Order: sequence, then C-alpha cells, then structure tokens
Amino acid sequence: MTWLRNLTHGLRSLIHKPSVDRELDEELAAFAAASAADKQRSGMSAREARRAARAEIGSMGAVKHQVWSSRWEGTFDAILQDTRFSLRMLLKSPGFTFVALLSLALGIGANTAIFTLLNQVLLQNLPVEHPEQLVTLGETSSSGVAGGIDLGDYGLFPWYFARQLASDHGPFQGIASYCSFSDKASIRLPGSASTDAAILAPVTLVSGNYFDLIGAHPFLGRAINNTDDATPGSGAVVVLSYHFWQEQLSANPNILGKTLTVNGTPFAIVGIMPPSFHGLKQDLVAADLWTPISMQPQVLSQASFLTRDGPYFLQLFARLSPQAANDKAAFAQSQAWLDQQIRTGIRANDATQITPAREGEIARHTVPLIPAARGASFLRSRYGASLWILMGVVGLVLLIACANLANFLLARATARQRELATRLALGSSRIRILRQSLIETLLLSLLGGALGLTLAFVATRVLIAYVSNGEGYTALSPTPDPAVLLFTLGVCVTTALLFGIAPALTAARTGAGSLTSNTRVSTAGRSAQLLPKSLVAAQVILSLLLLITAGLFLRTLQNLQDQDFGFDSSHLLIAWINPKLVGYKPSQTPALHQSLLERISAIPGVRSAALAAAPPMSSGNWSSSFKIEGYTPGPKESMNSVLNRVSGQYFETAGIPIITGRAIGDSDTQTTGKVAIINESAARRFFPKGGIIGRNITIDIDSVKGPWRIVGIARDTKNIDPRQTDQPIMIWIPLAQIPPMAPVAFVGPPTPGQPVPQEENQDRFASVILARTTGDPAKTIADLRSAVTQVDPNLPIIDIRTIEQHIGGFMTQLTLVSRLCGFFSILALVLAAIGLYGVMSYSVVRRTSEIGIRLALGAQAQTVLWMILRESLLLLIIGVAVGLPLTLSLTRLLRDQLYGLTATDPITFAGAIAVVALITVVAAWLPARRAAKVDPMIALRCE
Amino acid sequence: MPEFPKSEESEKAPSIPEPKSGDLVQGTLEMLILKTLALQPMHGYGVALRIEQVSGGVFRVNPGSLLPALSRMERAGHVKSEWRASENNRRAKYYLLTAKGRNALEAETEQWDRQAAAIRRILEA
Repeated sequence: MTWLRNLTHGLRSLIHKPSVDRELDEELAAFAAASAADKQRSGMSAREARRAARAEIGSMGAVKHQVWSSRWEGTFDAILQDTRFSLRMLLKSPGFTFVALLSLALGIGANTAIFTLLNQVLLQNLPVEHPEQLVTLGETSSSGVAGGIDLGDYGLFPWYFARQLASDHGPFQGIASYCSFSDKASIRLPGSASTDAAILAPVTLVSGNYFDLIGAHPFLGRAINNTDDATPGSGAVVVLSYHFWQEQLSANPNILGKTLTVNGTPFAIVGIMPPSFHGLKQDLVAADLWTPISMQPQVLSQASFLTRDGPYFLQLFARLSPQAANDKAAFAQSQAWLDQQIRTGIRANDATQITPAREGEIARHTVPLIPAARGASFLRSRYGASLWILMGVVGLVLLIACANLANFLLARATARQRELATRLALGSSRIRILRQSLIETLLLSLLGGALGLTLAFVATRVLIAYVSNGEGYTALSPTPDPAVLLFTLGVCVTTALLFGIAPALTAARTGAGSLTSNTRVSTAGRSAQLLPKSLVAAQVILSLLLLITAGLFLRTLQNLQDQDFGFDSSHLLIAWINPKLVGYKPSQTPALHQSLLERISAIPGVRSAALAAAPPMSSGNWSSSFKIEGYTPGPKESMNSVLNRVSGQYFETAGIPIITGRAIGDSDTQTTGKVAIINESAARRFFPKGGIIGRNITIDIDSVKGPWRIVGIARDTKNIDPRQTDQPIMIWIPLAQIPPMAPVAFVGPPTPGQPVPQEENQDRFASVILARTTGDPAKTIADLRSAVTQVDPNLPIIDIRTIEQHIGGFMTQLTLVSRLCGFFSILALVLAAIGLYGVMSYSVVRRTSEIGIRLALGAQAQTVLWMILRESLLLLIIGVAVGLPLTLSLTRLLRDQLYGLTATDPITFAGAIAVVALITVVAAWLPARRAAKVDPMIALRCE
Repeated sequence: MPEFPKSEESEKAPSIPEPKSGDLVQGTLEMLILKTLALQPMHGYGVALRIEQVSGGVFRVNPGSLLPALSRMERAGHVKSEWRASENNRRAKYYLLTAKGRNALEAETEQWDRQAAAIRRILEA
C-alpha cells in the first residue's frame, strides 16, 4: 500500500503545489527561528544569531529544491518544466521545427502506412479461438475446378473425399472444406421487385462444419451447420457478412428468416457474421455470403459436383489437436495419418491396375499441413515480398531523415553552448540538461508521429484503393489498430533516440567555461565535424541504395510493359459478361452472341469485335489434356493445353497473327467441319519438320471432345503472367462449333449398354467481349455498355477494361512497389541533399574567419571554392565506395522480383551513382561559392 | 597549406562537491532520525540539534539533507507529521515515529550492528 499512499500524496502535492510550498517555507522559517533562538541562548546577539542560523541553513531555495526532488512528483514536475521549456524552444525556431516535423511526419507516416498493410496482410491472426491450431491441407494459392489430378494436387480436393475426412478426422479436431473460389452470383434482396437490378456479390460455399471448426461465432442468428450441408440440393440457407448486411440491408435486425435469391434460387438468411470475420481465405475481395456446399449447383449455376467422381474444387483445412499444435512429434503423426488417407484415396481412384512406378509415385505423394493461423491469403502470396521490401525502403528513408535531424540538432547544440553554460553555472545538473535535450527530441518525434499517423491514414487509403484495383469493398482497412499505434509509438521513441542522443550528449558535455572564455572558433576542430560528416556519408550510402532499388524496379516494370506479348497490346477493349446469371440457357447463346457482335461491330470507332471464353492474358484458365493425331507422347510428357473458345474475327480483334493456314472465321459453324488453331510452340514441339496442319486433335473434356482439325498456327502469346517464360500449348476452337448437347458431367463411368445421359452444353457461353478500336479504347467504354444494354438491359457487365488496364492488372504489385520506391528514393535524395547543404553551409559559416585569413594571405577564390567542394566530393566518394558493395549484396535479395535485367544491372547502377553525384555537387556548390565570395576584411572583423 | 592552431576547450566545469567526512550516508541518516524520534516527537531543528549534541558535534545535519530525508520517511510511512506550538510558542512541524517506523528502526539497528561488527572484525584481523 506504500506505493498507493506515495502516489496519492504525490498527486495531492502536485495539485496543491503552492500550499505545499508555503508549508515548506513555514517549516524552514521555524527551523531558522529555533536555531537562532538556540544560538541566542548561548550568548550571541539577536542579529548575529539570526545571521548564523541563515548561514547554516544556506539557500532556502536550494533546500526546498532538495526536498522537492526527493519525491517522485519532484521529478515529474521537473519533466513538466522541461517539456514546457522544450516547447518554448521549438516555438522559438519555427523554421527548424517545421522542417523537422515535416521530415518526421513523412518518415514516420510512410513507416506507419506500410506497417498498417504489412500487419493486416502478413501478421494478423484470424479473429478466432486458437488460430495457431489451424492448418490448410496443401497450398491454397490456386483455385478452380479441375479433373484428372491426384488428391491434394494444387491444394484441391473433390467433394466425396472432403466428406470422408469430415466424418473421419483421425487425430485432428476436425477437417472442413470450402470452395476454392468465390464467384460472384446474382443476388436479389428480400422485398426487392423483380425489375430491380440484381446485386453481384461473391458467394463462398462452405461445409457444414466450417464455422464450427474455425471457431467463429455469428454476430446474429446462427452459422451454417452440418444439418444444412447434409444432402446435396437441400439446405438453402445463407449467412451474410457484416459488411453486406450493413451496406445492402441497412443493418436490419429483423432480416433473419427472410429470403434472398442467389441466381434465382431462394435462400433463407440464418445468420450475420461479426465485422472482423472474412472467412479462412483472406482474399482481396472479402466474402459477402456463405452457403452450404450442398447448394453448389444452384450457386455456381453448373452441373452437380457433388458425386463420387465429381471434380476437384474444394480446399480443406483442419484444426490440429492441442498437442499437435505444440509438439513436433504429434504434428508429424497428424501429417502421417493424413498422407495415409490421401494415398488410400488415390489408390481407390486409380480404377485400373496400379503399376509399380505409379505405386512408387503414390507412396511419395504428400499433402503438407500448412499453418493457417493468419488464414489462407492470396494477398499474402502476392504482396508479401513487396511489403517487406517497402518496409525496408521506408525504414531507410526514416534513417536518412534521422541523420538530417541529428545534424540540425548538433549544429544547434553548438550554437546553444552559451545558454547551456549559463544553465550549468547556475547549478543545473548535466543529467538535467541531457534530459531536457532528449525531451525536446522526443517531443519533436511524438508530434511528428502524430502528424505521421494522419498522413499514414490518408496514404493507406490510397494504397488500399490501388491494391484493390477498383474492386470496391476489401477486407483491408486504413484505420490503425493497437498494434499499429504501438508500432508508431515505438518508431517515434527509437527515432528520437537515434537523432537525439548524439546532440544531447554534445550539449551535456558543454563546459561551463565557454561562458567566460571569449570563444572565437577560428577553425573548426576536425573532430567536431567528424560526426556530421559521417552522417552525411551515411545519407549518401542510403540514398544510393534506395535509388538503385527504385531503378531496378522501374526498369523491370518497363521491361515487362514494353515486351512483346505476342498480340497487339493496344487499342483493345475487354468487357466481362455473364449471361448465365440472368438465366440464359446454352441454347439461347447463338442468338445472343449474334446480336452482341452485330451491335458492337456497329459502334463507330470499333474496327472489329469478337467473343471468347477468355481474353489474351487471363488469370484463370480453361485447360485440359489432349491428344494429337500422329504424335505419341513420351512417358511422363505433359499433354496439357490452355483452351479458348472464340468467335470468328477473334484473331483479328485480339491482334494475334496467324503464321500458317487460316484463322477461325464466321464460316465455321455447326454444319461445317470442326476446326482448331494451335500455337507456334505446339507446332514446333510435335511436328518440328512441319505438317501439323490438317491433323486432328481430341480434347479430354467430354463437352468439347472433338475431333478438331487443325487449320492454322497462331503466334505464341503471353498467357498467364507477363513474366512467364515457359510457353504453354494453346488451342483455340470456334465458339459456334461447340456441340449443343454434352454428356452429363461427373456421374461416373457409363453403364455398358445404356446411352450416356445428355444435357445442354454449358461450354457454349462466351465470357468476354473484345473490341478493337481505331482510337483510344477508353472512349468506347460508354458505347460498348450501351450496346450491351440495347441487346439485353439485364445482362450484367461484370467489368470493362482497356487492354492496358488489363495487362496493368497483372503488374499492380510491381507497379506499386516501383512507384513507391521511386517516390521514396526521391524523398531520400532531397533529404540527403538538405543534409549535405546544411552541414557544408554550417561548416563554411564556422570557418568564415579562417577563410578570411586564407584570402587575406593571398589564397585564390578558386582555391577556396575547391577546398570546400573537395570535402563534399570526399564524402561522396566514401559514400559510394561503402555504398556500392553494400548495395550489391542487398539487391541480390531482389533477384526474384526482377525481369529482363540482373540485380547488378550496370545501367541502373551507373545512373544512380550519376544522380547521387550530381545532387552532391549541387548541394555543395552553393556553400562553396559563398565561401569563395567571403570578403576578407568582413571575415576578420566578424565576431 | 599551413595548419592553423586549434583552439581546444580545455576548461572543465566545476565538479560536484565530494561528500565531506562529517556527512552521513543516506540510509544512516534515516536510522539516526528514527532513533532520535523514538524518544519523543520533535521538530526538524530539534532532530538536528539532538543528533549534533549526542554525536558530540561529529554529525552536523543541515536542513538541506534533513528535510528531504524527513519528507522521504514520511512518504514511506515511517514518520508522520503535525503542526504544534513549539517551546518558544511558534508553530512548528513536529515529526512522530509510527509503528512502521519503529519496526524499521529495529531492523536497521540490527543490520547496522551486524555490519559494524563485521567491519570491526575485518579491521582488527
């Protein structure tokens, strides 16, 4: 309880400081009186006694100070005084304060902004119980619907296997699944009229145990449970995200039990999730609705995947037992059990006799358990490395700003020597001076940090808007959370120490003697200038590092943009549509496609129009294995091809040159022979001596089996990634020749003697409209929209972009990194230039009288100019000499991020050195000229 | 190029005075105050006077160290204070030993005895 009394007494005396003070006065007076009375008794005169008592006690003020500082509130009070004093000092030099606050706000703000993103993308755990127990089964970066692969390849699993693991989860607490992609579905809200436009929102299919296993509790109502997901085709319930509930349903609390429709099927709303929950998968576009996997056909508008032979489309995650989460051996056991299940599953899938080679392959097959405490994130894999690089870059910028401030403060400490000496002489302790100096810097950095936080909030919003690429609502938020605030505070304090400690020590080392001695610094001591100069050299090193990093990224971006994509990457407009969402049947597609093409071709400024399943360059792929007549694949040879179905004039519109043969044209219809175009690489690989034209291809997808006769060879084009180096095989088939009916998918092997059941072929739909324009394609966007509306006002355009925007979308991360690096390196360079200019100017001012003497003794102005310039050049040379090896070793870490150049790219290095040299010379030239213009008479008289 | 002489600042600031022989170590002073107050409540000057007298003039406690020590002890709960009329009818702040202070005195005396004995043994060895 002592500390409590201490605290309350202390606070009381702080608040009642004057009365405490009076009491002390009175006590001292009583002390003096008693002492005097005593002395008088021993024979002194009254006056003598009083004087003797006074002398014994000494300075009343000093005694009071000692009493005051023996308690904590004394220290506290002193700190308050120092803070007030520091504030006055800062206000007294508004110029310095402004520059210091500005550079701190920029430096700390940049760090906070990047950390806000880094924290959310890379560091934050899922808002669930024991997130450390969550693991995904395999990598979750791929998504889609696949067939002909083994369990767990690409992290994908079929429905029956997910069900099997959900019921028999071995050493795990549970295993749950979700659809690997969250396609947008057409949603109609409760009570909306049928004429209202439907909302497009991403829906995630989840297993019945998904919410339970993650450990996420609904905000309202209930989550999806095992009963909902029990039988395929039943369980039409939906759980909404908090965001969707707020935005679309005005946070109506009575919404539970109401019905909304997903692609025309009614679903009962059973629950709302809390704001922080976005699902296990932390995608850029946050999930808005969750429905049971049992409703897959309705939600995806596709044939049922929920059969014994269904495709691979689910991703799995599990909750480890508490032991396995902490203990390597138990974890290994869980892994071994899982691999056992997977291998058994694969053997069961391989209906045919398993060869020893295949058996060996199965025995080696493993699906690694990957920690998912932070969720599975596309953003993390895409932006992770970039964010770390940016964090490093902004850290360096802050260091450069710190070096500047340290230099400013060092100069000021020297200028304030007289004041400090006065304070020392008046009895201030060195510790007190040190403390006051540090309080001043801390005050600066905290104020700068507060400004920085504001700046960071704005900057983060901009960054998120950029990263989300116009996708609207994302799970990322610019609002700083406690971790971010703590980070910023930490940065502020570290910064204050970094730039404050040297000046504070210099100040505290000031001799009281400098008050009396008529200090006239004729020449600056070399040692006094050593620290500022090393700081400038360090700034040169860091700016060089930043410039080179930025240069490498900018050149990489340029290389990617300027490369040959294989198609004409300009004057092309792409629109994504989904007629399925508004109820089109495959049989209606020929008419729809026809009128779309007619309308769009008629737009003025459109040279040609086409429809396709995918544009040139596409993040998602329709692909399959295939066979080509007259070619026997070697063992283990991958016979996989990227497929596209296109209308006539696709090649003309997309700008893909046909090398041999002819393109797909409008004359290729259901009644003519089936044709296909293959790419250059395939032709070279299968028939290097030529002769691929006229051969037949069969595709291992029942709906588009073929055979298709090759009529032309198209140029190789980049397909998935601008960085792609291995060219995939590509096959294009005419949209108009896709058979109207196809065998029902995924029902298992046909029963002998019975006809294979048929259904309408879903592959007759086109998903993109391409329009080649004569002028700027962006100007045609509105016309294209209205053309589509004229065909069908309900037909949703999901997205519309120019080819430049589309390709840019593949490089957002690189564009972001290179632009930010460029911006920060310029900032760093400006800061370094200010630093150099400041140090050199200060050095010239200090040496004015020395320079005056030199000039008076006959030195030429040129010599003086060169003397000052030489110092800066020496700093530059030292900076480059130290900076180059450092940069060479650090840029090696960026190797994987670069394209078309090495991490030691001589052009970038030379350019950066030239820029740094130029800035150094300019920053040093001005003070040097001033030095050369010194009038010897004035210089000698000054001070 | 001729080297110019450098003006080095060699003067040192006055150093903080070293403790003189008559000064007391902080902890010891508090023990002596406790012992003095154990007799009867006293005001500050009374404590100083008594310590000086009993020590035969060896320890002279000035208010600069006495009052901070009293303040510290009051905060620690070893003494409490009240304003009373002094012998020559002035208002003075009297310090009283608390039960906690009495315990502290016992403990400190015991420790002091032990240390003093140990030091004596070392010096006489």
